[in-house]
Amino acid sequence: MEAFEAPKGLIAELITPFESDGAIDIPGLKRLVERVSPHVQGIFLASPRAGEGAGLSLDQRLILLKETMFFLKDHPVFIFFWITGVHEEQTMETASTLQKWLKDKANPRNLFIVDTPLLYHSNRSLSLYYKQLSSIIRRPIILHNDPEIIAYLKKPFKRNNIRTAILKELSEMPEITGLIFCGSLERGYHYQRACRKDSNFRIYDGDEIRFLDYPSMSGAISVGANLAPKAWEKITQSSLLQMDQKYKYPDHLQQIWKTGDCLRTISNACQPFPVSVVKKILKEQGIIKTSAATSKDHDVEKACVRVRECMGKMMVDK
Amino acid sequence: MIIKQAKEVLNIEAQSILGLIDRIGPEFEQAVELILKAKGRVILTGMGKSGLVCRKISATLNSTGTSSLFLHPAEAIHGDLGMATSGDVILAISNSGHTAEITRILPILRQIGAPIILFTGNLDSPMARACDIVIDVGVEREACPLGLAPTASTTAALAMGDALAVSLLKVRHFDKDDFRRFHPGGNLGDRLSIKVREVMFTGDRIPVVRMGSTVKEAIKIIDAKDIGATLITGNEGRLAGIISDGDLRRALMSRPEIMNLPVEEIMSPSPKTIDENQTAGEALALMELHLITLLVIVDVDSRIRGVVHLHDLLGREEFRFNGGL
Repeated sequence: MEAFEAPKGLIAELITPFESDGAIDIPGLKRLVERVSPHVQGIFLASPRAGEGAGLSLDQRLILLKETMFFLKDHPVFIFFWITGVHEEQTMETASTLQKWLKDKANPRNLFIVDTPLLYHSNRSLSLYYKQLSSIIRRPIILHNDPEIIAYLKKPFKRNNIRTAILKELSEMPEITGLIFCGSLERGYHYQRACRKDSNFRIYDGDEIRFLDYPSMSGAISVGANLAPKAWEKITQSSLLQMDQKYKYPDHLQQIWKTGDCLRTISNACQPFPVSVVKKILKEQGIIKTSAATSKDHDVEKACVRVRECMGKMMVDK
Repeated sequence: MIIKQAKEVLNIEAQSILGLIDRIGPEFEQAVELILKAKGRVILTGMGKSGLVCRKISATLNSTGTSSLFLHPAEAIHGDLGMATSGDVILAISNSGHTAEITRILPILRQIGAPIILFTGNLDSPMARACDIVIDVGVEREACPLGLAPTASTTAALAMGDALAVSLLKVRHFDKDDFRRFHPGGNLGDRLSIKVREVMFTGDRIPVVRMGSTVKEAIKIIDAKDIGATLITGNEGRLAGIISDGDLRRALMSRPEIMNLPVEEIMSPSPKTIDENQTAGEALALMELHLITLLVIVDVDSRIRGVVHLHDLLGREEFRFNGGL
């Protein structure tokens, strides 16, 4: 497999829009992708949190991917696609189905596979497993380490984090190009130390508030980018020093500070039900048809009030 | 909360330096070789906080034997570029690798013929592509919210600058004599380097009485000159002896009426002397050996040229021998 370099920057963790009957809301998806894609380096589809990937069938995931690839055919935006199943066999099956479908595609260069291994596999012999997986799906792989989601979806599991020594081993595999990291800052240091030999190995902040506080140099996975893509673009570019000089107007720092503050407030307000809040706001804006989700409905009106207030204050995403 | 935040910042900054260890490679050796071979100086250039880091690295290079200066990129295009010659090596610092002011002067530096080393966190940047040697000083994470102020990245660049200066120092076999030469005002320099002639008293400040003077006259001089002793001169001003506070105490113990005695009765003959070209460190060692606080500097004819006191070597706060007085 040729070497692929994972992008640096903002990866929007897209919510999955549904029709009221549970089917994917394709026009809503199109509007959302068109809204977000000009401002991001990548789009994360069917993610286990905002993308509700764990509740999607294989067909639904593939529809999401096919449609998004179609909408993005003229945009240089990378797609991160979550393939994790409830067990090893299901993950392999998803990978195999995906590979068959990709065979006919002319240019799937911008597709990265995201996998949360500890949801169905232990740390032991993980590198051997990824050798097998990468022989099935010939795409670069991004690991996903999210102890909270593992604890939530797989309670009796022994370990919630990829062991540092295992990550080091995995990061040396050419097929594995990055990691989406959620967890303690201390674990983050250990992971960085383990992977720092390869400067192209990306460690994305899976926690967008962490990124706002202490920005990592690879980029962030952001749910908030569904709501405020321009503001998130501005903040990410500024934090990663990707901003062009011409944007450095006199009160640049002040604006960045204010925008960052608003994004932090929005992110905090969205907790603990980010999908419900984001969907409700997007529905109000006429981007998606319904706020239907795979989980039960939550009363998020108070959170939505705060989000609306903050979005009103922000210049860029008004 | 505040302590936790401070600890996190320190952790991030510490990790940023540790992160450099694994990434340091042959390009660092090439940079050291390039500077060693250069006939000119190392000219550092950088904007904003990187510029401040440049100034510190330049100071460190200068004090460790590598001639260096700082060139402000904005001033450079208004004439300061004239300080760069083909024999110099340019060391630019830009974390983003996009700094407009430096990008603007790079082609001119190229024309001058000075090789360019870059410290950057962005190996794919236009500046990285334009420089001869690129050293990765990238960090995983900044410690400032929203990355508004460069924090971990400037720490990393500073540490890499120190690594460069110390490596050059080692390769050049820069020894303590060189260090003294460049640190005349520093503690280490003071103690190791200064010649006795640079710290000795001369002229009227030397406490002296002639042979035949009374002890009373000697005490007056000791009191007036305030270094706890007076020298005694004989024929043609040659050094004959010394009377210290200790000599006076001992004399008083044996015979209370000493005021009108001639000084030669109670003086210690053959005071300890030192050559004016010997170092302060050697003077200190001699004082420690003989448990004395004063040495006399004489010429070949034993005429007094000066006096050096322990205070002038160590400062009054550090006045203490190993064995105690």
